[in-house]
Amino acid sequence: MFGRGKGSEATGTAGRVVPLDPDRSLVRAAQADPARFDALYRKYVAQVYNVAYHELGDHHEAEDVTERTFLHALGALARFREEAPDDVAPEASTFRVWLLRIARNAVANQRRTLRRRPVTTLDAVGETAAPDDPERSVLARADASAAWAAVARLPGDRRRAVVLRFVEEMSTAEIAGVLGRSEGAVRVLLHRALRTVARDLGERGETR
Amino acid sequence: MTAAAPLESVEIEALVTDRYLDALLAAAERRAPDAPTDPSLDPALRRAALRLRDELVRVHPSFRFEERLARRLAEAAAGMRLAVAAGGEGAILPFPGAATAPHGDDPTKADPFDDALGDARPSTARPLPRRPLLVGGAVTSAALSLAGAAFVAWRLTRGAPTDPMARAVRLARLARDGSPVDLH
Repeated sequence: MFGRGKGSEATGTAGRVVPLDPDRSLVRAAQADPARFDALYRKYVAQVYNVAYHELGDHHEAEDVTERTFLHALGALARFREEAPDDVAPEASTFRVWLLRIARNAVANQRRTLRRRPVTTLDAVGETAAPDDPERSVLARADASAAWAAVARLPGDRRRAVVLRFVEEMSTAEIAGVLGRSEGAVRVLLHRALRTVARDLGERGETR
Repeated sequence: MTAAAPLESVEIEALVTDRYLDALLAAAERRAPDAPTDPSLDPALRRAALRLRDELVRVHPSFRFEERLARRLAEAAAGMRLAVAAGGEGAILPFPGAATAPHGDDPTKADPFDDALGDARPSTARPLPRRPLLVGGAVTSAALSLAGAAFVAWRLTRGAPTDPMARAVRLARLARDGSPVDLH
């Protein structure tokens, strides 16, 4: 798991400890030879897809966003630098955070596009799952869960923070990097999101 | 009600919640059902966090999609390599020997042709403009330009050309400069 300092080396820069990006060698290899971007793609395709799917609730839209995210990342990889400003945690400047920031922008663009045509909701995905399709059935059950629905009802950044924290298991600092907010703001976002979900589940008699 | 609480109080509560989430997600790696927490954490928040951890499933793209996108990325990567090879994009590199040029430590500011000019350049001449060298297709065009300049310089130092058209051009040039015209 990334973002918790595991497996990270550390080096001193300007008086503070900066954990190295665990993907540094892969990134440098891909910057030198774009054909080697495949390793980064294989490593993160599921994560990008997950974020897109939880944001958009539709497999096809999630695929579109995933494709656009990686194509953009490949084109912009030469400009990627591990640079953490003084007011941002160093772990917020990793390739993973950079990639998910691209995904977040791609999702926002996709949402703008979707406003112009009918949207398939998460509930609808569950309803249309074919009985002979095990994968979709599993997803349908997940989609139908009250917790899932409670998260889907959260406003923008609260929902994104919850997905990044619970699904991608990102640290607060990493989420701050993706959302472009301070760590303190992300902690408050998550706290309020949990309180909303708890109240939502309680009101619906869903609390276990 | 949390929304009405002072900001500092919210931040402290958020910090406690964050620590619990850290412990909870780490516990999942050990397959532990829960994690110890600060007693001040609201039990309702704890239950909600447990449910989210257990019920927010990870989804995976289809194998077909993953492979199709991998192929598309490989094609795009191959296109990028070709573009670089053709000089569409390049890196600014110091010219060999420029590190010792008298233009400070920045190799991209050193004029790569200083050494080539050597003593032949008059001491009163203005220094050539500093310019980086784009390695790639630009090298080819720069080499062609140098060859063209050398050819023109060579022709200017030669005597009267034998080619009728060249003689006519030379005569016209001399007439424009006001020099006496020698037809032979």
